[in-house]
Amino acid sequence: MSRFLIQRPLPHGGRLVERVITDKEAAKKMIRGCPSYDIKPTLHFETGVPVRNVYREIMSICYGFFSPVEGSMKQAEVERILKERRLLNEWIFPYPLVFDISEEDYRNLGVGPGDRLVLNLKGKPFAILDIEEVWRIEDPEELAHLTFGTPERNPEVVREPFNKKHPGWVIYRSLQPVVLAGKYTIINEPKLRQPFDRFWFPPRKSREEFERRGWRTVINHQTRNVPHVGHEFLMKCAAFTGDVEPCHGILVNAVIGVKRRGDYPDEAIVEGHEAVNKGGYIKPERHLPSIVLWDMRYGNPLESLLHGIIRQNMGCTHHMFGRDHAAVGEYYDKWATQILWTKGIPSYGFPAPPTDVPYGLDIRPQNMREFAYCPTCKEMAYSETCGHKREKLSGSFLRGMVAEGVQPPSIIMRPEVYKVIVKWWKHFGYPFCNEKYVVNKEKELEVDLEDL
Amino acid sequence: MGEYFIVVLLDDYRMSKIRGTGLEEHIKYMFGGELRLLEVKVPEELKDRILQEFETARVDSRGAITDLPVAFMRELFNQIVEKKSLGPEVVEAVLQKVDEIKKAAEKESEYLPPPEID
Repeated sequence: MSRFLIQRPLPHGGRLVERVITDKEAAKKMIRGCPSYDIKPTLHFETGVPVRNVYREIMSICYGFFSPVEGSMKQAEVERILKERRLLNEWIFPYPLVFDISEEDYRNLGVGPGDRLVLNLKGKPFAILDIEEVWRIEDPEELAHLTFGTPERNPEVVREPFNKKHPGWVIYRSLQPVVLAGKYTIINEPKLRQPFDRFWFPPRKSREEFERRGWRTVINHQTRNVPHVGHEFLMKCAAFTGDVEPCHGILVNAVIGVKRRGDYPDEAIVEGHEAVNKGGYIKPERHLPSIVLWDMRYGNPLESLLHGIIRQNMGCTHHMFGRDHAAVGEYYDKWATQILWTKGIPSYGFPAPPTDVPYGLDIRPQNMREFAYCPTCKEMAYSETCGHKREKLSGSFLRGMVAEGVQPPSIIMRPEVYKVIVKWWKHFGYPFCNEKYVVNKEKELEVDLEDL
Repeated sequence: MGEYFIVVLLDDYRMSKIRGTGLEEHIKYMFGGELRLLEVKVPEELKDRILQEFETARVDSRGAITDLPVAFMRELFNQIVEKKSLGPEVVEAVLQKVDEIKKAAEKESEYLPPPEID
C-alpha cells in the first residue's frame, strides 16, 4: 500500500452520534406519562415569517450529521462556542444550537431539569428532549452579533456589521428566551417526502454507500443551487485532487431548509444535480446527490466549518470551497472561507486552519477559484489557468433568462437540468421560491410521520 | 451623460419574430455563439425613470439595467419588433404602458407561465 493513500476519516469527535429509536414499542414505553410540546417554527422577530424549524436540527443531530453534538446546548457550551468555537468536550464547532421556547410555553409546560419532554411534529410524537438545564437568552441581538462577529472583533474577514438583512443573524435574533438544554432522541423515525427520500444518506448510510461503491476518496460539493455548467466543471476539476489518483466519488450535498424568495425550489435543486449524472455529464458511478436538513446561517467561514463537519461525518475525504462560500451580501471577505482553511482566523478561535488545531477536522479543503466560458479556448476555462477574456456565468443572469422562459444554451446549462426546472415550474406555477412556496414548505416540511 | 443598455435574449421563437426586420445585423453572441442577444440603448434620463418605476431594477458594472420584471422584458421585445429599432424610442414606448406592466409584475410573484418544452 502506498503511504500516499488517503483513508476515510473517522467522524468528528471520534464516533458517529446516532440517537434514533426504531423499536416503536420501546419508544412508547419511553414517553409514557411525559409532557409534550408541539414544535413551532422560529418566526422572524419583525415580520413573523418562518425563518427556521428546530426539527431540522434535531434530525441532523440524531442522525449524526453534526456529530459529536447530541442535543440542545447548555449555557456554558454556547458561551464557549461564541468565544472559541469549541464544544465543552473540546471538539471544534461553529454555531450555538438550542431548543428555545417562549416564557408562556415554559410556564404552561412546567418542566425542569430531569424531565423528559416529548416533541411533536405535524401532530405526531417525533422526538424526546431529556432536559438537563434550563437557561435564558437575555439579549438575542447580542447573541446574534456574537454568533457571526463584527468588523471590530473579527477584522480578518468581517467587512460589514450584521443586521436584519442577514438571514442567519435574523435566526439568532428571533430565538425565544427560554432554552431547554439536553440530549435529543428521535423516537418515531420520519419518512422523507418525495423527491427527498432518494437523496437521504445520513452519515452511516453514506459511509456504507461509499464502501459499496468502492469510494475511498470522496470530494464534497456544497450546494443550494440548481447546477449550471460552471458548477459541473468545478465538481469535475476539483475531483482531480485526491491522492495518487483523482477522487473516486463526488458527493453533492444540498442544504435543504427554510427558503428565501428567489431561490430555486429544493425539489429542483436535488433533481437538477441528479440530472447531471443521468445525462452522463458526470457518470452516476462517480456522482451522488444527497441532502442535509439545515436552515442555512450564511456564515461563510463559520458555515464552511459546519460543512466540513457534516461532510467528514458523511465520510468525505475532501471538501471544495469557492468564492463567497455560503455567503449572502457583503458581510464577509469574499475569500473568508479559504482564509480559514489555509491560514486560520484567530479572532474566531482558529490561530491555524481547522485541520491543524487540536480536536479539529481531518477533511481536506480544496480551495477553488472560478470557471467561466472562454470564447478563445472554446470551452469552460479555469480563472487561474486561462489567459483569455472569459464570459462569466452569473446566477442572476441565468435566473433572468429562466424567468423570461428562454432556455439557456447547453454550454451554460444542460438541457436535462433545464427540464427539471421546468418540471417543478409547472408543479408550483413558478420557477423560483415565491411567498406561497415558502409558506407551504414550512407547513409541509420535508418529512411525514406515522402514528407511534 | 452615461449610456446604458438592456440585454434582450433571443431564443428560436424570438429569432423568428425579428427575421426580416433588419435587426439581425445587431445580434451579439456569447458563449461560443450559443447565446444570441440584442442590446437596447437607454439614455440617462430613461434609465432614471426605469429605476424609479421598478424598485427591483439595478444597473450593473457594465451599465446594463437588470432585474426588470418579466412583463417589462416581454413588452420591450414586442416594441423592438414593432418599431424595428433598438433605440430609446423602444423604451419610451414600453414606459407608456408602465401601469399595465406594473399590474402584470405584481402577479409575477405568484405565477409565471412555464415554457412548453419537449
